[in-house]
Amino acid sequence: MDLTGESTARREAWRRRVLALAGVVGVAFVGLLGQLWYLQVLEGVKLQELSDRNRIRIRPVAAPRGILFDRNGLALVDNRPAFTLSLIPREMEDRDSVLARLSVLLKIPIRELQDGLDRVPPDSFRPVRVRRGLTLEEVTQVEERKLELPGVVVEVEPQRVYPTSVFAAHLLGFVREVSDEQMKHGRYRRGDMIGQSGLERLLDEYLRGRDGGERIEVDALGRPVQVMRREEPNPGAQVITTVDRRIQEAAERAMTGQSGAVVVLDPRNGDILALTSSPAFPLDRLTGNLDREEWLKLVRDPLTPLMNRALQSQYAPGSVFKVIVAAAGLQEGTLTPMDRTYCNGEFHLGRWTFKDWKEGGHGHVDTRSALVQSCNIFFYRAGLKVGPAAIARYARSFGFGSNTGVDLGGEKPGLVPFLNGKRRVDGHGWQAGDTVNMSIGQGQLLVTPIQVARMMAAVANGGILWQPRLVQRVERVDGSIAHSTSSKMTGHVDLSPVVWAFLRNALAGVVNEGGTGGAARIPGVEIAGKTGTAQSVAKSDSSKGQDHAWFASFAPAHDPEVVVVVFVERGGKGGQVAAPIARQIYQAIFLEKVAMVTLDGDG
Amino acid sequence: MIPRFDRRLLRNVDWPLLGAALVVVASGVVCLSSLGLGRGGPGIAWRQLLWVGVGFLALLVVASLDYRNLVRAAPVLYIAGLGLLIAVFAVGRTVSGARRWIHLGPITFQPSELFKLIFILTLAWALTWRRGPLQTSRGTIGWTVAMVAVPFVLVVRQPDLGTALVLLPVLAAVLIGLGLRLRVLGLVAACAMAAMPLAWLVLKQYQRDRLLVYLDPFRDPLGTAYNVIQAKIAIGSGQLLGKGMNGATQSRLAFLPERHTDFIFAVFAEMWGFIGCLVLVLAYGLLILRGFEIALGAREARGRIVALGVTALFAAQTLVNLGMVTGLLPVVGIPLPLMSYGGSSMVVSFTALGLLLSIRMRQFQ
Repeated sequence: MDLTGESTARREAWRRRVLALAGVVGVAFVGLLGQLWYLQVLEGVKLQELSDRNRIRIRPVAAPRGILFDRNGLALVDNRPAFTLSLIPREMEDRDSVLARLSVLLKIPIRELQDGLDRVPPDSFRPVRVRRGLTLEEVTQVEERKLELPGVVVEVEPQRVYPTSVFAAHLLGFVREVSDEQMKHGRYRRGDMIGQSGLERLLDEYLRGRDGGERIEVDALGRPVQVMRREEPNPGAQVITTVDRRIQEAAERAMTGQSGAVVVLDPRNGDILALTSSPAFPLDRLTGNLDREEWLKLVRDPLTPLMNRALQSQYAPGSVFKVIVAAAGLQEGTLTPMDRTYCNGEFHLGRWTFKDWKEGGHGHVDTRSALVQSCNIFFYRAGLKVGPAAIARYARSFGFGSNTGVDLGGEKPGLVPFLNGKRRVDGHGWQAGDTVNMSIGQGQLLVTPIQVARMMAAVANGGILWQPRLVQRVERVDGSIAHSTSSKMTGHVDLSPVVWAFLRNALAGVVNEGGTGGAARIPGVEIAGKTGTAQSVAKSDSSKGQDHAWFASFAPAHDPEVVVVVFVERGGKGGQVAAPIARQIYQAIFLEKVAMVTLDGDG
Repeated sequence: MIPRFDRRLLRNVDWPLLGAALVVVASGVVCLSSLGLGRGGPGIAWRQLLWVGVGFLALLVVASLDYRNLVRAAPVLYIAGLGLLIAVFAVGRTVSGARRWIHLGPITFQPSELFKLIFILTLAWALTWRRGPLQTSRGTIGWTVAMVAVPFVLVVRQPDLGTALVLLPVLAAVLIGLGLRLRVLGLVAACAMAAMPLAWLVLKQYQRDRLLVYLDPFRDPLGTAYNVIQAKIAIGSGQLLGKGMNGATQSRLAFLPERHTDFIFAVFAEMWGFIGCLVLVLAYGLLILRGFEIALGAREARGRIVALGVTALFAAQTLVNLGMVTGLLPVVGIPLPLMSYGGSSMVVSFTALGLLLSIRMRQFQ
């Protein structure tokens, strides 16, 4: 009953082809049975033996993390082999008692061990790292009781080691095991150590390298019999930073016991030579076995050691801002070097009285001596003459109110409060009193230490705003370059050369001619700078009577090579607190010059 | 009272086919139940049984439908299927690096599994829609290939290379069955090979890595190759008679992450030895043989194409999976039909059997 009415020939052709296909499949099935015969009957006994002693273990071999170097090739961090306690879930036959024994032996909370295991399937053959940085003593204890602890292994992994606990903490950042949250977002494997802050996080991709692994055969006691296959780890790339370890150390030494920040820049190219935030957090603790309580203690510390003050603390610049007011006035012609005023210590505006920081005033001052002496009264008047619009415009062109774009995360932009002739950024009306406040860098004006450093670098180099650079290049192990950066200009302040020269000359006077920055003076090195004292705005702060101290400077004054900005929280007056710190840093930077002058003096 | 034609349909049910499928399904469930200690808990065999039930319902429904209506509906199914494949990219769930699953309430399902059948129905429709004698002209074949190429690319991009790779033999088998000269097929294959480098350029680096590992498991000796070695040991140590359900240490000590899905045959082989494997492989062979028989017996083009396509799909999946588990072929992620744990695969396999039954039952009409 052929409904389609096709020919016998056609049907025969179909039949032939289908049978051919069936034949092909049949041959494949025979081949398959052949392979089964080979495996199960011919090789069966051998494979049975293999199965009996089959305890193949996978041992990941962690890649050493890349090293970070300073600009002169000195290491900022290093690696050393460390012992890691791992559990192999599949080999832990009586899990609870093994965990209990281990917990007692090493005094690790059993919860901690359990947590590690709970996150992987119970039949996993990959070791789960439960504790890093075992002491030799602990390793011995585990090895001695190996028989009672099936599935417990001690692995050797490279671990970060730091010159000191807090050295360059905010710059380098800490390394910790990848968290569950991070696992979801990145291509990590459980137990990977990844950079969590600072350069370690920024460059994690380069620094991490690629882990290798070994497949080893172990006997019933877990002793390796032979390495069956080994894939070498691929070490992380090396990072050459712009930091100068010597200067970084000096800056940290100088800041000991203070809270605040230091930024040292090269004004010729924007390289960050040192960047510290104080108090710093203990890198080695954060990288090692930090328990919950220690972590909470760090997070809740009123001194906020985790915060990078160089980028994140926003305070009024105080008198450092007078440089901007002077620059704006001189360039716009609303202020001349010849302008003079008499300072009696008080300035009246309407029913308000604004005071100078110096009781009784500075007497007769001109623009230069007003900068040198940091006379407020002169700048109150100057600010009103120059006008808030021009001041705000120049403040912004010097980079205030916008991020510097430094590679480290979490940077704050600061604030230039003037919006237009009528309003402040916060929406309130703009009053003449706001102009007066802004003229001496108070009020709502907010800046970060790194912004001040960028601004001072612009004064030093004739107007170039650099994007501060931290990383010169990243080199792979084979010497090839994985990543490199060059200095980047992000803006330019156009002032006439005469104005630049005037500013640099006046700032040199601040330090060397009995100005407010005298405490930074070093014979043999001509330092130029400006002090600043930020009054605390909040009532609680001012009731403590603690002002924040600034000293923003560069040297040598006529051919600047380095910018040093010191900020001390609740330190007091800039000239008394911040300037001496800067002096210590300069001494370290210009070690040779200082030594020569001393020798000359002796001779 | 059952209408007359229904009784005739029942008389033509292919019992050997169903019997072979039953043997395979039972073997799978037994293996799963013995893996109870491992991941998934003892519930895994019960859940598989639940899917067998759902699959059997699907089989009954499909077998009671006239497959010709299904072929007629192929364009609609094709578009719906494409929609699902695209939806995978939008709302799909990523498991071990591949987006293949869609969440429907408590159920996750894998559109690429379902598309295997739609693929076959689409082939049948595209090759016969002009009515009249079967066209094997270049034009028909050209646009048929174009039509199936779109979902193919989508599946590759998930990436589900395994599924994509079994669709190729299906296409080839159907075209050969229709009398396409091997010369033309060779030409198509050559074109496809030539297009490979282009596809390579489109892929991202990690996808390339993944494909390379698919092609060469030894690129990742700690992952895939470990499975292959352990699977071989498991199969071989079963020897002639097997170790029984409790003696299968390789399997029960949980050496393979995929032992309940893609590598389930290794578990079976360790438990039942060569004899057991022989029975299982013969059951698969019988099933496929019946498929070819049904394709031979079909009197009109759509039935032939669908029957041959479904049979080729079973054969390709079975052979590639078994080849991979026994170390003859590189590892690609393909489940063993009717045995591996997984709802989508089980239901789709039963539906495919339903199609074969539907064709068989109506070949005398």
